Amino acid sequence: MHVPDGFLSPQITLPAWVAAAPLWAWAARRQFGRTPVEALPVMGSLTALAFVVQALAFPVPGGTTAHVSGVMLLALLYHPLTAFACESLVLLLQALLLGAGGVTTLGVNALALGLLGPGAGWLAWQALRRRHERAAAFAAAWVATQASALAVAGVLGLQHALSARYFPVPFPVSLAATMLPSLLLTGPLEGAYTLLTLSLLRKARLHELA
Amino acid sequence: MRRLAAALALLAAPVAPRAHELVHQVERGRAVAVRVSSPGGRPLADMPWEVYSPARPGTPWQRGRTDRAGWLAFVPDGGGAWRVRVVDPSGHGLVLDVEAAPPPVPEPPAGASAASVAPAPAPVAPAPADPGPAAWALRPLLGVAAVGAVFAVLVAMRRRREAP
Repeated sequence: MHVPDGFLSPQITLPAWVAAAPLWAWAARRQFGRTPVEALPVMGSLTALAFVVQALAFPVPGGTTAHVSGVMLLALLYHPLTAFACESLVLLLQALLLGAGGVTTLGVNALALGLLGPGAGWLAWQALRRRHERAAAFAAAWVATQASALAVAGVLGLQHALSARYFPVPFPVSLAATMLPSLLLTGPLEGAYTLLTLSLLRKARLHELA
Repeated sequence: MRRLAAALALLAAPVAPRAHELVHQVERGRAVAVRVSSPGGRPLADMPWEVYSPARPGTPWQRGRTDRAGWLAFVPDGGGAWRVRVVDPSGHGLVLDVEAAPPPVPEPPAGASAASVAPAPAPVAPAPADPGPAAWALRPLLGVAAVGAVFAVLVAMRRRREAP
């Protein structure tokens, strides 16, 4: 779902950067400045883990690839803004080191994958956690994946409407290509990853540092 | 008169079938071929692509789909940076500029002076190649190290700030 450089026009990338930049500053100051120092290494380890799992793409029918993001875990353990800041760091490093995503599209990718997704997942978690905590964690990760995919599909559709030269695929096609793997594969995998990692952190009692 | 018409018909007979004939020529080394694959080496098959010429960057010169081995190919009509855009409908994809050499000048007629013979086209600049599995394995480690460094700096800053 990382939109690469060259697929979105400045009409979209510039406003996204303008919207994301103050949020990055706010999130970094609020989350990294207030989190207990002892929790920062755990946060860093989970961010590094998110970087690794996002680099592990697996093929899906249709020729594309998919991967889990691992970012909802950060939102559940800390705060959606922490997830936004950490995911933005991951996306920046992916663009610079792996050529995945891009620098011009960093604002769009960060807002879609780091803010909207974890934000929606966090709302689902808040609504469901009292009924069944594990099911709520799974549902939150699934919802986060769908919200991110929907946001990316929406941006691609908007780009096609503004100028098909940048993204020639019509919205219904990109919507189906984005949402089908997300609904059926990536969402459940993200839920399983989140549950498994939460369970391991609890066993190691590392979640108490969060 | 009938003899004249019959003679004309006989003369025209070999020409008539040529109206439906297609001619072709095979030129090797004219096309630019690009192969797209995932970092793991899996070819991106049947993926839509477009190519834009340097002369008309706003209009696709050619559209197509990659073959089962992830290859696409086009024949540039001029030198310069040709933009290739491989578009995965889900938003993944690739945009790259491929430097193409000017097309070769037709052979001069026999007897032309040596000075009028066009120089050979410049070799096409090779596209960045797949760095190989070792590099693909190392780059995630580099990312992990970078994340670790960022958080190490954060911890150091916090400890320094909170030190009495």
